[in-house]
Amino acid sequence: MLASLRNVSKVFTDPRNGRGLVALNGIDLDVKEGEFLCLIGSSGCGKSTTLNLLAGFESPTRGDVLFKGKKVIGPSPERGVVFQEPSLYPWMSVLQNVMFSVQEKNGRESLAMEYLKMVGLDGFANSRPSDLSGGMKQRVAIARALAMGPDLLLMDEPFGSLDEQTRRKLDNDVLRLWKEGSKTVVFVTHNIDEALMLGTRVVLMSASPGRIEREWVLDADWPRDLSSPSMMSLREEIIGMLQACACANGAAPVQLLTIGD
Amino acid sequence: MAVATALDTGQAQFVFRPETTRLMAKGTWNAFLGIMVVVFIWWFVAEAMMFLRGVPFPTPPETMSAFWQAIMGADVHGESIFAHANASLQRWGQGYLIALVLGLALGLAFGTMPRLHDVGMISVYVFQMIPGLAWIPIAMLIFGLGETATVFIIVMTAIPPLVINTAGGIREVPAVYTRVARMSGKDDSALFMKVLLPAASLSIINGMRIGLANGWRVLIAAEMVVGVALGLGFSIYQSRYSLDFTASFVSIMAICIIGLTIEKLLFVSMENRVRNRLGLDRED
Repeated sequence: MLASLRNVSKVFTDPRNGRGLVALNGIDLDVKEGEFLCLIGSSGCGKSTTLNLLAGFESPTRGDVLFKGKKVIGPSPERGVVFQEPSLYPWMSVLQNVMFSVQEKNGRESLAMEYLKMVGLDGFANSRPSDLSGGMKQRVAIARALAMGPDLLLMDEPFGSLDEQTRRKLDNDVLRLWKEGSKTVVFVTHNIDEALMLGTRVVLMSASPGRIEREWVLDADWPRDLSSPSMMSLREEIIGMLQACACANGAAPVQLLTIGD
Repeated sequence: MAVATALDTGQAQFVFRPETTRLMAKGTWNAFLGIMVVVFIWWFVAEAMMFLRGVPFPTPPETMSAFWQAIMGADVHGESIFAHANASLQRWGQGYLIALVLGLALGLAFGTMPRLHDVGMISVYVFQMIPGLAWIPIAMLIFGLGETATVFIIVMTAIPPLVINTAGGIREVPAVYTRVARMSGKDDSALFMKVLLPAASLSIINGMRIGLANGWRVLIAAEMVVGVALGLGFSIYQSRYSLDFTASFVSIMAICIIGLTIEKLLFVSMENRVRNRLGLDRED
């Protein structure tokens, strides 16, 4: 097992207004070496929190986050993250952004160039991030995450703000890089088609409090045909479950329980 | 022309010769109009006061000619305008330099240490609320009359914007920038030098600019407590006794010209360079 969450809960409390939010409650999740794991679910179900726990940006309120059998205590180059929001440093060139994350002491520039080549942006090495389109920026972010030499690649709705065409193209890029580099990927998305297109396993999470609802193992080869009968029925099944969860969330809010001290 | 041709021929994109000279001429003309507005208001008030109250309010032409004579070496309240300006610039330079060192150091510390920020910012906000003139008794109590008191007043008024903008700039650096540095295995000093400082640079420069302007403006108040009869602020204040109002207007003009020149020359070019580096639009 490359990484695992053991009975993990995460609670966010706001001491100013006395509100507590249980983002995750008693989650068990194993990330197997070499798999492409897609986390799906409606917003607020704790997908991003799960990813941040794996990355080491957040620490669990209860339970353990393990990576290669050791407790995760903070972020590390072993776990590269591609963020949803713009994360490139605008004051650095594209090349400098990638070089920033290269771990090797020598030959950083040529290594960074190699990673840029992998995402097809070696021609833009000296451009500024502000000169790139949204899709290109995310490709640089992927190159940067790969440049860290991670064993686990964590992607938090990386193409959520891109148009459909660009998203599909980048999905294929990610798939190619995953196959070539035999990496392990955890990919958060709210797009069911994207998850079905990419994942070797799809985990559905649901909200209030965040928990794992169900999971499916996908063994179809790529490129996948989403209009095939088996895919169609799987898609229907996931949508059905997602709606059931969403309805449960949409129900009248229960009386907030006040817990005294 | 270019726009019409592009529409008629169905182009999606086109290039045309930028109208740089025309835009620059327009900018200059607008600046000239702006100056004219100032002169007009001044002149109107001057004439009105002379008519209504019978006071010798210096008019723009009077002041201009006095200013020219001062440039040519005429005395302004006992000294040449250059001696006054030089004395003021030196006091201000000393004060600003001290404020810069202290303000940046405090701002960087406050920006990176939340607890220190919450405790320390209270005094900064209090200091910021104290107007320049109100520092005079405090300065006199601590340093007595003299140069040190003047420099102290400049320091105290220039520090708050430096601290507030530096600390604020660092605290507002997006969390994702820090996360990228952390996951790339960077330590505290690399995070600070390579990420926090550049990300906050625009805000820091803004603080430097406001601090500079604050310090320069407070000179007038600060030079009320100088021991020697030298300085642009002293010269303005001196007209209370000499009744030579034209001389004080000359000093006011000198203060405006020097202040604007420093701000435009130093800070606009610096800010544009940083904006350019950050991929932001330029500011004129």
